[in-house]
Amino acid sequence: MYPKELEKHLLKVQKPGRYTGGELNSIVKDKSKVDIRYAFCFPDTYEIGMSHLGMKILYSLVNARDDAWCERVFAPWNDMEEVMRENDILLYGLESGDAIRDFDILGFTMQYELSYTNVLNMLDLAGLPVRAKDRTALTPIVVAGGTCVCNAEPMAEFFDITLLGDGEEVTNELIDLLKEYKAKGASKQDFLEAAAQIKGVYVPSLYDVEYNEDNTVRAITPKCGAPEKVEKRNVADLDSMFSPTEFVVPFLEVVHDRTTVEIFRGCIRGCRFCQAGFLNRPLRRKSPEVVEEQCRAICNSTGYDEISLCSLSTSDYKGLETLITNMLPWTIDEKINIALPSLRADNFPKELMERLNAVRRSGLTFAPEAGTQRLRDVINKNITEEEVLSTAAQAFAGGWTAVKLYFMIGLPTETQEDICGIANLAQAVVDEFYKNPDKPKGKGVNVSISVASLVPKPFTPFQWEPQDKPDVLIDKQNYLISCVKTRKVTVSRHVPWTSFLEGVFARGDRRLADVIETAWKKGCKFDGWAECLKPETWEESFAENGIDPYFYTARRREYDEILPWDHMDYGVTKKFLVNENKKAHKGETTACCREKCAGCGANKLNGGVCDEIGKTVV
Amino acid sequence: MKSVRLWYKKDGLAIYTSHLDMNRCFTRAVRRAEIPLWYTEGFNPHPYMTFLMPLPLGQVGMREPIDIRIEGDISFKEIRQKLNAVMPEGLEIVDVSKPECKPNEIAAAEYEIIAGFADAGEAEGFAAGAKSIIDSGVLNAEKRSKKGVKNVNLCEMIRSFEIEAAETNIHIKTVLAAGNTVNLNAELLLSALLSQFAAETESLTIVRTKLLKEDLSIFE
Ligand code: SF4
Repeated sequence: MYPKELEKHLLKVQKPGRYTGGELNSIVKDKSKVDIRYAFCFPDTYEIGMSHLGMKILYSLVNARDDAWCERVFAPWNDMEEVMRENDILLYGLESGDAIRDFDILGFTMQYELSYTNVLNMLDLAGLPVRAKDRTALTPIVVAGGTCVCNAEPMAEFFDITLLGDGEEVTNELIDLLKEYKAKGASKQDFLEAAAQIKGVYVPSLYDVEYNEDNTVRAITPKCGAPEKVEKRNVADLDSMFSPTEFVVPFLEVVHDRTTVEIFRGCIRGCRFCQAGFLNRPLRRKSPEVVEEQCRAICNSTGYDEISLCSLSTSDYKGLETLITNMLPWTIDEKINIALPSLRADNFPKELMERLNAVRRSGLTFAPEAGTQRLRDVINKNITEEEVLSTAAQAFAGGWTAVKLYFMIGLPTETQEDICGIANLAQAVVDEFYKNPDKPKGKGVNVSISVASLVPKPFTPFQWEPQDKPDVLIDKQNYLISCVKTRKVTVSRHVPWTSFLEGVFARGDRRLADVIETAWKKGCKFDGWAECLKPETWEESFAENGIDPYFYTARRREYDEILPWDHMDYGVTKKFLVNENKKAHKGETTACCREKCAGCGANKLNGGVCDEIGKTVV
Repeated sequence: MKSVRLWYKKDGLAIYTSHLDMNRCFTRAVRRAEIPLWYTEGFNPHPYMTFLMPLPLGQVGMREPIDIRIEGDISFKEIRQKLNAVMPEGLEIVDVSKPECKPNEIAAAEYEIIAGFADAGEAEGFAAGAKSIIDSGVLNAEKRSKKGVKNVNLCEMIRSFEIEAAETNIHIKTVLAAGNTVNLNAELLLSALLSQFAAETESLTIVRTKLLKEDLSIFE
């Protein structure tokens, strides 16, 4: 429910359904009967936030408690922000319409570095100071979780707490603690010091960071008893882990609006650019029976007619065939499609694929990521040209006419030959189509290639690598386009400036806080939206604060440099990452976890056990 | 397979749901209620569901029809109960019936409009002014249609119109052309009237109360 004052303005904004609440399965409680009010804040639009699985999990998890009420908050689009500012309407929870300023916890989920300015804007719209030190009361405590907090240093001045790793257990522990400290009227400082003792909780203000003359980090020193290293949380058993049975069903069309159930966390592949693959190790698997039961429950409570089985690499799930075979009878009966995102077409049984309607509809995608075998070895993407071509050939024989290929440019050791290799691989797929004797008559083939730019991320073997500057990336993109000789291949590319800014924050440090605040004050927000990104304003903001952004992106870091995120522990050891980086430069691959444990170290988070190998490794 | 006409009421938060989004919303509700829907044959089967008259964003509907096709034996009462048990806030099935009239028999709709003004004087002035404009039979406005924007005389699409002021509010009860061929959105009428006096409302509620046939008898 929205605040009453908003009523007469709602029809003036685009998609008012973003701001009204009241969707099916949204949860309204009696506020006088709860101790903790939790605002789950997503720093992007309703449509994107409502597609996010993590939000659905935490929303249900907090609301399963009688003593807490979790509401949803999204970043209002510019038109709504204007209405709110003009009419002094504070940012509110969608369920109650109450200002979140009066809540106990504001929990942001940080999936993308380019939503940092939106966090500041949302705090400001809530009527709160953006800097943690200026929010002196115990509540609201501003918390953040999600991928980006593996290096939350650029946002360290704004968040009170970040939560590392899986949120399912630590969220409840934090709520319990705050409830206790609120009841005894404790100070914010006392609460933060106590919170820092919970595993997975990072309190940035309890760490002093000193810098060297050359702007690299000299030392990170904990104080007030905060741990030297903050270890991420790891839920050991996904079967018994909390998982929602209901999703809020939006009225509006959102990006992903379907039943989504995770089948495993972590990844066995070890692609060297992939942050998610390393942050979520070790591999933990949900059993097929539990997955199926959860899918059924959500379909029943929502009426969804599509199920997405999600993970970082769906076809690596042991038991996928069993799962699909068990699910097909009832899903066919109830006209439910099964979608398998992140499917590696190379190792998925053809017969099963044919039975999956949804796969057919969404078309065939491959992610070779690099154009030559040499470069694929560098990034440890073990997919060969033959695999791509033979699967494409099979698909063409089955009547497909469109293939989508995902690539990256700006990879370490990349040469012109590698870039041209992208065009060549696409061309080879086109040729494969025309080799097929049974190709559909009168139909052409369409191979679309999507080219992203590498953003080296913390906790990957590429965390020491320089990132190509935007002008270099533009040259590379243009070169690639010049290598494409046929109209059957279409190229879509990313905005290099976006990757650049993402890179600055991904490997940034605390000195970026002033830049972020300056840029936000000058009107930057929704930086991930091409139509909202303001490169000149950002450039001004860097300059005004005397910060050279290329210091964070363009420089090769030494292995022994203290990295701003070195006090975070995600399980995977630095020694392993260094070794992987060296192997990358030698073009050596590392076998996937299923073939051989590479000794990444993440299994220590799981009592020495990794689901993938089923036993303790040393 | 048989056709069933659902009649729903849309108010509260649900009025901010667009016509396009309503379709998805009802398909899901029918699935949750486990109503045995009839699906089209073919590669990509989908249920048959038709909204007879789009209700514009922001308007309340008291009795709006949707035709669906079902399979198997299920009573109208049971359909209604099952659906109401799973409907989101603001949407309610008020009746389930056999489709008596053909969809293209819809020719008009009755609306009740309440608009609030800054003060009673303004409300009274607007009521009097609006009445004389409608009585004059000429109110030109730009109307958007599939063929583009056209200047039309809205009065030709008004079947009846009553307006009165009560303190700061005005109440309108009007019957407007509705349907596939000629259709007048109540909001367009009101904004055309407001622009004649450069007036602005403080609050506005538009309620579509019933759908009517050409002879102004009720569309069943
Ligand atoms: S411990 Fe071994 S098997 Fe497990 S994720 Fe790390 S490298 Fe892979």
